[in-house]
Amino acid sequence: MITSTIGVPEARAECKLQVEDLNVYYGDFQAIKTASLEVPENRVTALIGPSGCGKTTFIRALNRMHDLSPNVRVEGKVALDGEDIYARDVDPVSIRHRIGMVFQRANPFPKSIFENAVYGPRIHGVRSRRMLMEVCERSLRRAALWDEVKDRLHRSALDLSGGQQQRLCIARVLAVEPEVILMDEPASALDPIATSKIEDLIVELKDDFTVVIVTHSMQQAARISDFTAFFLMGDLIEVGTTSEIFTKPKDKRTEDYITGRYG
Amino acid sequence: MTAIADSKSFASRRLLESQRRVADLLATIVLWGAACSIVLLLAFFVGYLFYLGAGTISWHFLTAPPSEISAGGGIGPQIFNSFYILFLTMVFTVPVAMGAGIYLQEYARPGAFTTTVQFCAESLATIPSIVMGLFGLIVFVTLLHWHFTALGGALTLTLLNLPALMRVTQEGLASVPLIMREGSMALGATKWQTIRRVVLPSAIAPLTTGIVLIAGRIFGETAALIYTAGVSVSAGRSAYDWSPFHTAETLSVHLWYTHSEGLVPDAARIGNGSALVLLVMVLAFNVLARVLGRLLSHRLTSK
Repeated sequence: MITSTIGVPEARAECKLQVEDLNVYYGDFQAIKTASLEVPENRVTALIGPSGCGKTTFIRALNRMHDLSPNVRVEGKVALDGEDIYARDVDPVSIRHRIGMVFQRANPFPKSIFENAVYGPRIHGVRSRRMLMEVCERSLRRAALWDEVKDRLHRSALDLSGGQQQRLCIARVLAVEPEVILMDEPASALDPIATSKIEDLIVELKDDFTVVIVTHSMQQAARISDFTAFFLMGDLIEVGTTSEIFTKPKDKRTEDYITGRYG
Repeated sequence: MTAIADSKSFASRRLLESQRRVADLLATIVLWGAACSIVLLLAFFVGYLFYLGAGTISWHFLTAPPSEISAGGGIGPQIFNSFYILFLTMVFTVPVAMGAGIYLQEYARPGAFTTTVQFCAESLATIPSIVMGLFGLIVFVTLLHWHFTALGGALTLTLLNLPALMRVTQEGLASVPLIMREGSMALGATKWQTIRRVVLPSAIAPLTTGIVLIAGRIFGETAALIYTAGVSVSAGRSAYDWSPFHTAETLSVHLWYTHSEGLVPDAARIGNGSALVLLVMVLAFNVLARVLGRLLSHRLTSK
């Protein structure tokens, strides 16, 4: 019953994240200009646009990563299941527990593969060795990495290849069991084979998670996403199902970009 | 071919080129010489001290108590006191300096308080060690009536080395890329969890190197100890005294004392021997710092 709707973007999906009139400033520079967007549950939403258009700035606003930078100001509303994550009484740490993030450059901690995989459960208080081992295996399997590392779980994560490191970073997020996974160009530093592994993985992940992905590759957006939002110079120009955006965009600028007339 | 090149004769261009080549060669030689002189200076210095002091070194010299009047005294208690005061100083310095360093690097937002702490640390760092010794004399020896004690010396050295270790901590933490912190925060970790589980372990190599280098400096410190820990080893009791409230002359202070005020007939010999032992130990700290730093950073990158 459920599987019949998955992978069909047009089918009705609940709104997981609702962004309303979001403005982001770096000092005096406005990087995001009053953007509004609805992210549907159990779907992959891609954010595309030329370099410097604000897509990374936008995605970092969705789990309050900008809180870590002193001169960034965020205005507007981002609601997770209807609750504003920027409301005064909300703890950003608990928000990031529910909305995890994978970064452009793989950033495994200088620890063993095992310790990387169970970092999340550990900080959230899981002590039992058996439970940690279970979480480790489950998340590495889900991240399609288990078979490659199961014999060297206690070796340094920094010895893995770039693609393996990135899948380990995804496993690390999965182990926290977030509701939403944000990915900021997760495959931009990887070769085509590693990239296609990550892409297959993302498509599988939407069964259990809501995924938002920033990508500079339109082909990637077309391959893996159900919805696509196009950014240009801080403006969210257009959002729609991926097939709409790529076949019959409403805005002239979207059309110019997808047909290759912008960087 | 440009017009300028055409206008110059072939010969004059050749001349210009050879002049430039000579200048380049000269600069290379001068700079290489400057670099070499550092190595030569150290080699000469170490060699000369070995020549002067090696004859003095014996098991008796390294373990026996010093002698006040007759020849043949050792430096056993002084070596013990040097390590003991070093230990006490590190016990006070490491937590405070690292705490302040972590705060300034990870928590502090630019503002009046941060500026004040930075300014105080920098001011503290510029105080000459002899002045710090005088301060220790006033506070620990006179005001608190402790007289000359290992504890007073250690606390004075703590004041002297806090800023340096604070800076080492700050720089060590700054060397950890932002993306490591973000990776941890994006998993729902708190700031302190991120610092304790990711940032500090990632900075372990520069932190260890810095701490050991500062330990070497504390080991050789003299001026601040003359007025605070005293110039004699505790009389009447065992020379190896674990009480922090005993007079505790260190190796470096002993070197200064025998050379300037010593009454023993073999003062020069004792001084040379002490200098050699001190030098070897301080060099050992430097080597240890390098080895530990390399070992730790190696362990983190590949096991």
